[in-house]
Amino acid sequence: MTAHVLPPAPPVQRPRVLVVGAAFAAAASFMVFVGLIGIYLTTRSDVIGAGSSWLPEGSTIPLQQPNTMFITLIMTVFTMQWAVWAISKNDRVNAYLALGLTLMLGIATIVMTTYLWTLMKLDIASGTQGVLIYTITGAHIVMLVLAMLFVALMALRALGGQFTARQHDGITAAAVYWYAMVAVYALIWISIYVTK
Amino acid sequence: MALTDTRPESGTDASAVAPSVVPSPLTIFGTGDHKAVGMFYVLAALVFGIAGWIAAALAAGHEVGSGSFLTDSTSTQLFQTSNLGLILLVIVPLFLGLATYIVPLQVGASTVAFPRAAAGAMWTWLLSSGVFIVASFIDGGFGGERAKSVSLTLLALGGLIIALLLGTVCVLTTAVTLRTPGMTLDRVPMFTFSMLVGGAIWLLTLPVLLANLLLIWVDHRYGGGTVFGAASSQFGQVAWITHEPQIYAFLVPGLGIVADIVATLTGARLGKRNLLLFAVGAFGVLSVGAWAQPAIYPAFSDDVVWQAMGLLVLLPLLLLLGGVATAFKNGKPSLKSPLGLAVVSIVLTVLGVLAGALLVITPLELRTTSFFVNGQFILVIGAALTAGVAGIGYWGPKMTGGQLADGIGKLNVLLMLGGGILGGVSLCVVGFSTRFSGLSGSHDTLVVISAVGCVLFALGSLLAILGLLSGARKGATEAGADAWGTGQTLEWACASPPPTGNFGDLAVVRSPEPLLDEEA
Repeated sequence: MTAHVLPPAPPVQRPRVLVVGAAFAAAASFMVFVGLIGIYLTTRSDVIGAGSSWLPEGSTIPLQQPNTMFITLIMTVFTMQWAVWAISKNDRVNAYLALGLTLMLGIATIVMTTYLWTLMKLDIASGTQGVLIYTITGAHIVMLVLAMLFVALMALRALGGQFTARQHDGITAAAVYWYAMVAVYALIWISIYVTK
Repeated sequence: MALTDTRPESGTDASAVAPSVVPSPLTIFGTGDHKAVGMFYVLAALVFGIAGWIAAALAAGHEVGSGSFLTDSTSTQLFQTSNLGLILLVIVPLFLGLATYIVPLQVGASTVAFPRAAAGAMWTWLLSSGVFIVASFIDGGFGGERAKSVSLTLLALGGLIIALLLGTVCVLTTAVTLRTPGMTLDRVPMFTFSMLVGGAIWLLTLPVLLANLLLIWVDHRYGGGTVFGAASSQFGQVAWITHEPQIYAFLVPGLGIVADIVATLTGARLGKRNLLLFAVGAFGVLSVGAWAQPAIYPAFSDDVVWQAMGLLVLLPLLLLLGGVATAFKNGKPSLKSPLGLAVVSIVLTVLGVLAGALLVITPLELRTTSFFVNGQFILVIGAALTAGVAGIGYWGPKMTGGQLADGIGKLNVLLMLGGGILGGVSLCVVGFSTRFSGLSGSHDTLVVISAVGCVLFALGSLLAILGLLSGARKGATEAGADAWGTGQTLEWACASPPPTGNFGDLAVVRSPEPLLDEEA
């Protein structure tokens, strides 16, 4: 007979380890963008204060694509919360659907960002503006890809039957990181695309 | 494995055989054991510490006489590499290693949160550290002439920061979520609390450093290197982490170590503990310096917030000093080396913070002298290193299972004190000499004295390794669970070294000093 190694005491009610860890990771990721956007706004203010226009001649940032991306990402907030709600009700079909939709909308955002880059006619070597804008938007794509990997991993675990109505920390943790990614985009949208 | 089995790193089998004391790489590749990971962090950080302090001494040596010792470019790169290295390769990983080992024990947990992520963070840090050192040696330091080497340095620094952040997330999550029943946040031991505060500040500020590095790398690699990536401005964009107030963020966990050591080795409960917790928190808040970047915000030194932070940080330090002094008065201090090192750390902290207060007084114009700024850096980093070495001496018996050679520790007390006074204070005096012409003749002598101080810190790091190994040697006196006989917190309730799972049954915690409650 196998000797079982069991904890000596009943399991303690723990706060949700994965959710707290994801919140810390989200905070750290958010701060990368706080730093980048702080430098962006300060530099832009200096350039405009010196009487120059911020974007180099010939470059433009259309608003249609950024707005579309913003609306898309706001939709993902609902689809992600839909997934959390569905798994908490043990409604696995709806959870799979919501997670899949979230991933598809994430891919759409990546495609739209790369399309926007082609429209901007901004050379990365053109000076401060190019470096800042491509670094910030590129870093956001990296964060989006990380969030999508997190969601995809949790979706695979859900498909493997790992989450239940009582224990669905993985999906909640992925949602926390996803919301942070959307919040970062909101910052980018207002500071780079709208107030250019 | 049956479904009812518990994974090795999360089991609570207190009767299990104790692990090997000093882990070999073979045993810790792939392990999730927080004790092996913590021990490896500590040993590697001390080895890097020896190299870092010697590099700092060489860079100082270049300032003597005609400066023909090294080329100007090499000396500048060595100075910048040693400053960043002492923070990211020595102090942060030293505290993180101690925390990875000790925090789960202090909060009564069987493991660190995300044990495999913690191990992954340690290996990533180690690999990135190696790449950083190699790239720096091949003319890849900030402003180096070999573009690919500079890119490698920037990527290695990015890897270092991400690894340290991941390790910090593991420790913070442990402290927040894995505390044993009854251990509310105001009852956690001082070291754990200071890691919570310091780790939170790292989590909020190191990503900003990552943002700086990202901009430098993108401009250097793709943008033509005319703005952020320009050779002459690269280090200036990241130098804020070596300056006031951010430099204090790397000292915060040291305050907790000192408080824990003083409480145990005086045998007294820390009085007005909530006030001390507030003081650690306030010290942490006043060390947030990511906004004071001279490259982006050149007028920061005229900002009243920056000046106020430099002066106000003295207040929480005074509160902590009061708490420590009360423990000395109410208890019976045991003249062991960790207590001596804790006192030296306090002395260096006070000197560093006082130097920082002078730095923000605009009429003195000390901020414009790099000698004074670097003197303050050495004092603060020296205080942090001394606190880390004190922690190694204090928890060494727990980590190795044997009593450490106290003679080595006592010699280290002298080395650390000498290192701080010679290395830091002498540079501060050189800084003053630019303001008071009567001192200018002693410039070279004082810089040589400072270099000697850096060498003493290197020797101290070496002795700390030897001290730790002395506890692991065959024939060392067995430490027992409570190595000092006056332990107050939970880490002294488990065997030394702790077995897999750390604890068996734990009673509900009812105060910040659960072991004293047990005796009563």
